[in-house]
Formats: sequence, structure tokens, C-alpha cells
Amino acid sequence: MHSWCGEMFLLTVLSASIIAGSLCGISGVLIARLRLSTLVFAIAHAALFGAAIGLFLNIDPLYTAMMLAILSSVIIGPLSDATGVPSDTLAMVMFSTYNALTFIFIFLSPGPTLAAEKVGGILWGSILAVTRTYLAVLVILAYLYALVLALLWNRFQSILFDRRLAEAEGVNTRLYVYLLTILSGVAISVSLKIVGGFLVFSLLYIPAACGFTAENIKRMILLSALIGGTSGSAGVILSFILNLPVGACIVVTATVIFIAVSIYAYIKRKQKTVF
Amino acid sequence: MVLDPAVELRNVTTIYSGENRPAIRNISLEINAGDYVLVTGPNGSGKTTLLETILGILKPVSGIVKVFGHDMVRSPYKARMMCSYLPQDFMKKPDEPFKVREIVAMGLASKRALGRLSRDDWKRVDEVLKLLGIDKLSDRPIGRLSGGQQQKVFLARALSRDPKLLLLDEPFSSLDDDSRRFVADLLYKLNRKGMTIVLVSHAPPKIAGLTMRVRLVDGCIAGVERCSS
Repeated sequence: MHSWCGEMFLLTVLSASIIAGSLCGISGVLIARLRLSTLVFAIAHAALFGAAIGLFLNIDPLYTAMMLAILSSVIIGPLSDATGVPSDTLAMVMFSTYNALTFIFIFLSPGPTLAAEKVGGILWGSILAVTRTYLAVLVILAYLYALVLALLWNRFQSILFDRRLAEAEGVNTRLYVYLLTILSGVAISVSLKIVGGFLVFSLLYIPAACGFTAENIKRMILLSALIGGTSGSAGVILSFILNLPVGACIVVTATVIFIAVSIYAYIKRKQKTVF
Repeated sequence: MVLDPAVELRNVTTIYSGENRPAIRNISLEINAGDYVLVTGPNGSGKTTLLETILGILKPVSGIVKVFGHDMVRSPYKARMMCSYLPQDFMKKPDEPFKVREIVAMGLASKRALGRLSRDDWKRVDEVLKLLGIDKLSDRPIGRLSGGQQQKVFLARALSRDPKLLLLDEPFSSLDDDSRRFVADLLYKLNRKGMTIVLVSHAPPKIAGLTMRVRLVDGCIAGVERCSS
């Protein structure tokens, strides 16, 4: 019975890490193509701040993280338009503010300050935080994410190719970019529990960097999702075996895959040059 | 019934953010449906700014811009659906991950609900590629093509939309002599079929069928000449 429970738990954690890794991988490619890295960096820290609020209020940090990430995705653009401050600069202001507020709320949260379990859960990830409910939320979000991308792919594709031209042709690019930013914010929020606030950004960009070795945009997204998912699952297994923090194991695995993919891409390019 | 002009500009001034000097100043211009307009002028005279202000990509600080009766500041999207635009800075990097056929289809997709393309739409994409003689490049990544080939791809994208108003920014800049003649002839035929064309060029080849010439100097209209057909 005990072994069966353990296997079920491992299966739940593995499934969650594959889904979260894939969502981050997809988001990473889209964000990088749209040059929204700074914006999403701020949103990632908004999610971290939301998680800290969750700790403070003693409610599940997943939901507060998601709320803050979505709120941040929605307000940065209009705030930038209203104030005339470039969105990148505004994102950095918000990033610093979110960081400061995260520390304050962690400090104010009930129980001993910096208690490893609760703080570790949001800063460097914890597999103990992975529950069946969490997995269900992940599955629903992954389905919604895939559905939005599939339905609106041609619109997104046009924006990813040339945003200004898409706008000139009558696509409300701001609306679609907001939608992508919100989706990325949600992907980040759900990944926080596994990877942690310090490392979630790595899971966005390392798989995306691998994805960029592919030759077309669909393959880029698929490769990035595949590497995100593989890094997630392999990192969880490593974490179990070596008894190390799961977030760090996932990111180290992703980095090893990135090095292997880069070497492969280099050899392939050399061969093309020779022949 | 009085038809709205294709383009109507009234006392339009556009200033780029962070600059004090207007890029175009107090422009008033009316372009009728079916016109074929050539906008000329030296570098920096405001030709591209004029096109992008017409499309509503640049917002004027004063004045009124209307395309087929739609106010381009308040509600630009409906009018843009009827327009196609060939930008001046079209060149893409060699690692661009999009192929020619996909790029041309994007132009049509932006006119369709949710961007969904039918079999007829894809047929239209292939027809336009063939018309411009670039059908053999369909599966090539755009970044690996020459400047002239890339310019034809963007022209194909613009034409695939079958626009009522076609705005072209230096459409001959990367083309060889034969292609220039071919494109000039194609534009003439499209205009004859009723398409309104606004073409910006600082050194245009011989263009047949023009109905209006506009000369810009230092952001202002220096002259408007109605041409007799």
C-alpha cells in the first residue's frame, strides 16, 4: 500500500513537471520572438509576490500567484501608454517593487521567518507541494493554452513574423500580445511550485534557446515544449535520487540538454557548410 | 449616394515621440476611390510617415484621417481590413523561421475569422505567388532569399488580400529592371480594375495610368498635380 502511494505520488509529480516544463518551453519561444523578456521577467516576479501573499494569508500560493501574474500582464501595457514610460523600463520598476514586497510578505507571514518548507516552496520549488488538485489545475490550463494557440494560431503567427505589418493589416496586435502575456503569466505561476521563483525564468529560456535551433516556428515551439517537459521530468527524478532541490535539478538538466543541442546544431551547421 | 473618398486627410500633423519637429505638417489631401497616386519627394520629406498616418499606425497630433469614411484614430481596424501595405523596411534576417507560402497566407488570414484559411484561400495564395513568378520559392525560408525576391513576397502578401486600397512604400527599391516593368504594369492593370493605389517612391520608374502626383518637401505638400488619363 505504502509503495503504491509512493508510485502514485511520483507519477503525479512527473506528470506535473512535464506539463509545467512544456508550458514554460512554449511560452519562452513566444516571449523571445515578441521581445517581451523584460515584461515577462516582471510578470514572473509578480507571480512570486502573489505566492508570498498566499503565504501571508495562509491560502494556496498557486491562486494568489496566478491572480497577481494576470493582473500584472494586464496593467503594464496600459500603464506604459498612460504614463509614457517605456514598457521595458516600467517592467523593471515593477520587478524591483515586486521583489521588495515579496520579502516583506515572506517576513510578515505567520510562523518562523524563512522556515525552509514554506519559503522554499515558493523560492526554489518543492515536490511536496505537488498535489492531485494542482495536477488537475495544470491539466486544465495546459488544455486551455493549447486550445487558444490552436484556434488563433494564424493570427499569432502573423504577429510573431512581423507585428507592425500584422497591425497594418487589421490585426489588433495589442489584444493578442496581452493574451500571450497572460498565458505566459499563468504558465509561470503554475510552474512556481515545482521550480521556484528564483529559477522559473530559466525554465522559460533554456528550452526556448534549444528551440531556436529548429528551422521553422512550429518546430521551435514543439522542440522547446519537448525539452521543457524532458527537463522537468528528468529533474524530478534526479531530485529524488540525489535528494537535492527539485527546481535546481530541473534547471541543471535543462542546461545539460541545451549544451548537447548546441553541440549538435554546431556539427550540423558545419556539415552543411562542408557539403 | 455620395461615396466616401478612399483617403481623406484634413490638416494632419504627425510628430514622432521624443521629437519636436513634425514629420508631416498640416497635410490636407483627398484621394478618390480608383485613384492611382504617386507620392514623391526627397529622403526625409515625410513620405513613409504619410503612408503610416493614413493607415493609423502613426497617430497624428492634430487633424483628421479617414479611410473609406472610417476615422483612423478611433476605429482603424475595419478600414485596415480593406487595405494592404508594402513596407519599405521589409528585409528579414537569414535565420527567420517562416517560409514564403506561410508569409503570403498571413496576409489573407488577417481578413478571416480567427485567421482560419479555406482551401480557396490557399488556392488564392498559390495564384498570387505564380502571378509574381515566385511560386518556385514557396517552401523557401524568407531570410534566404535576395532583396528583390523578398520584396516580391511582401507584394504577393499585399495582393493576396485583394485590397480596395493598396499602399506601397518604395515598391521598386530592390527590383531589377525587368521586375520593375512587370510590377509597374501589374499595378496599372489592378488600378484599371478599380483598386486605389498610393505609391511612394523617391525615384520611380516610368509609371502609366497615374491620376495624381503629390510632391512632399520637408513634411509639407509642395504640389499636387491631377493627371489626365
